[in-house]
Amino acid sequence: MSHPEKRHKVNLFRPKEGHMRDEVHIILAILFGWGVCTFGFQFLVYACRGTGAGSLLTRLTLFNLPLHFWFTGQFLPLWFIVLCVIFNIYVDRISEYHSRKRDKSYE
Amino acid sequence: MNDSSWSIFVVLLVLLSFILVGLRQKSRESQEYGFGGRYTGRIGGGAAIASNWMSAASLMGLAGIIYLRGYQGLAYVIGWTGGYVLLLVLLASQIRRFGKFTTPEFVGERYGSPAARLIAAVIAIAISVIYCVAQFKGIGLIFSFMFDIGYEQGVTYGALAVVSYLVVSGALGVPRNQQLQYLVICVAFIVPLMWLARKLGYFWLLPQFGYGRALTDLSREFHVDFTLPFAGDSLFEWCALCFTLMVGTGGLPHVLSRFYTVPNVRDARWSVVWGLFFIALIYWSAPAFAVFGRLLEARQGIAFTPETARATADVIALKTALMAGLPGWLVGVLAAGALSAAFFTVAGLLMTGASSISHDIYYSFVNPKASETSRMQVAKGGTLVLAALVLLVALNPPGLIAEITAVAFALAGNTIFPLFLLGIWWDRANRYGAIAGMFTGVLCTVAQPLFGGVLPGLTSYFPVTASALCGAPLVICVMIAVSLATPAPPEEMRRFLEQEVHGHLD
Repeated sequence: MSHPEKRHKVNLFRPKEGHMRDEVHIILAILFGWGVCTFGFQFLVYACRGTGAGSLLTRLTLFNLPLHFWFTGQFLPLWFIVLCVIFNIYVDRISEYHSRKRDKSYE
Repeated sequence: MNDSSWSIFVVLLVLLSFILVGLRQKSRESQEYGFGGRYTGRIGGGAAIASNWMSAASLMGLAGIIYLRGYQGLAYVIGWTGGYVLLLVLLASQIRRFGKFTTPEFVGERYGSPAARLIAAVIAIAISVIYCVAQFKGIGLIFSFMFDIGYEQGVTYGALAVVSYLVVSGALGVPRNQQLQYLVICVAFIVPLMWLARKLGYFWLLPQFGYGRALTDLSREFHVDFTLPFAGDSLFEWCALCFTLMVGTGGLPHVLSRFYTVPNVRDARWSVVWGLFFIALIYWSAPAFAVFGRLLEARQGIAFTPETARATADVIALKTALMAGLPGWLVGVLAAGALSAAFFTVAGLLMTGASSISHDIYYSFVNPKASETSRMQVAKGGTLVLAALVLLVALNPPGLIAEITAVAFALAGNTIFPLFLLGIWWDRANRYGAIAGMFTGVLCTVAQPLFGGVLPGLTSYFPVTASALCGAPLVICVMIAVSLATPAPPEEMRRFLEQEVHGHLD
């Protein structure tokens, strides 16, 4: 960080304006959704052990599976697919937007 | 024919059909290039990603570890699917735009250092070898199951079969049709499961949901609570394992190089989604085998002790099919699916490893003047040496299939993932940081087996199958610190990163 004048910079946490900034925003949003559902849910199950909420999580059933087992074993893989679809749709959209913008500036 | 000869017959039929279809495809490809199967759209690309991914760990190991450890085993399901999210959002399009096909090539180019490239090649080969050990265990178990022989004999015959397949397909120039492979593997896994669910009287059309009732029956009839969260293991262990498998997925060399088989970045991204869907189809099904297996064992009065369970865990899918009295040919179909998954993973990894020995180590480092013929010979010799090495370790496998595979993921997550992540997202990362990072990553991976006795604290933070939760962030910190303390990488590379890899639309 001692050369602030460098022309060429790539940094996930300081994206440059335009396409990269939009892309980084969606990346961070997707990673948030990924982390919270994967690890946040496990923390919740762990933290609620022995309490009423805990037994709600482990006794309530969905498709005959306890809620926590269903969430982890069946819902999370589906959630990952959903996240990937959202990411792709969004990136397709911003790519189109920015390439249209760029083409105009070249005209 | 009895059951085991049916299995052998079906397995041989499947392997032969791959060679025949490959040959047919090859003769057609010369006339209509690209039609026969190399690329057939996003769904085809996804099937290729999934078939590249499917191995003995997915088809045998996953059911085994869930059978053995219940809820803790689900960390594998989540780790091996959630990793694709990381891969897609952080790496897929960027490494494609970077334009280097293999891990050592990327590292050599990005960090501008032959030494870094050499270390990356050695690490990539080590990952392949560990991964292959797990596959060999799977192949050995299936062979000993089919021919009714001991495990050591099974794994030796299996190794011979793989090497002869490589020789035959190499001599005939048979292309790998990964879409067809995926279809065969998927059908071979799910059809027996449906049959099983139907035979046991559960909802068979979607056994992935039908096993819920089996779980209820298991706890009602036998008081086995399969789903208890964090019963034998802590929250940290669950999360560490899950995270390790995720970052490992993002760093596995043979997964990273998949993005070059589709024609453009957009299709590469969408084929990841399809690939993940196809992988999830198998991963939703694997727990069902585990649950049915436990239920059938309990009903037949077989005691579940840790030792016996560990011994049968890796073949639980096949054993369940046998216990339920499925017809012999169907057990054969299941064995054929698992065997072809393991077989083609090994074939692909051995070939990649050998070409890495010949190209990244021999040609680039030892003898840059080597002729095409001598490089070819080194590659062929490399295949044999790698296969022999893998066989040697696999004769006395150090753990369950899923556990051995997890070690390969830990190594990939500790070394290659940080290297790619910073290489793509931080222009200041340089060769010194990369080399220091790789050494730190290797140390983190081997911390428990090598230094666990001296420093017991390491065992809890860097468990051998799950070292990347602490390891990968540590490696990233080391890379950042060393890079900042040493000269910046050349301006040319930083411009390339900004303009070509990230600035393609500005």
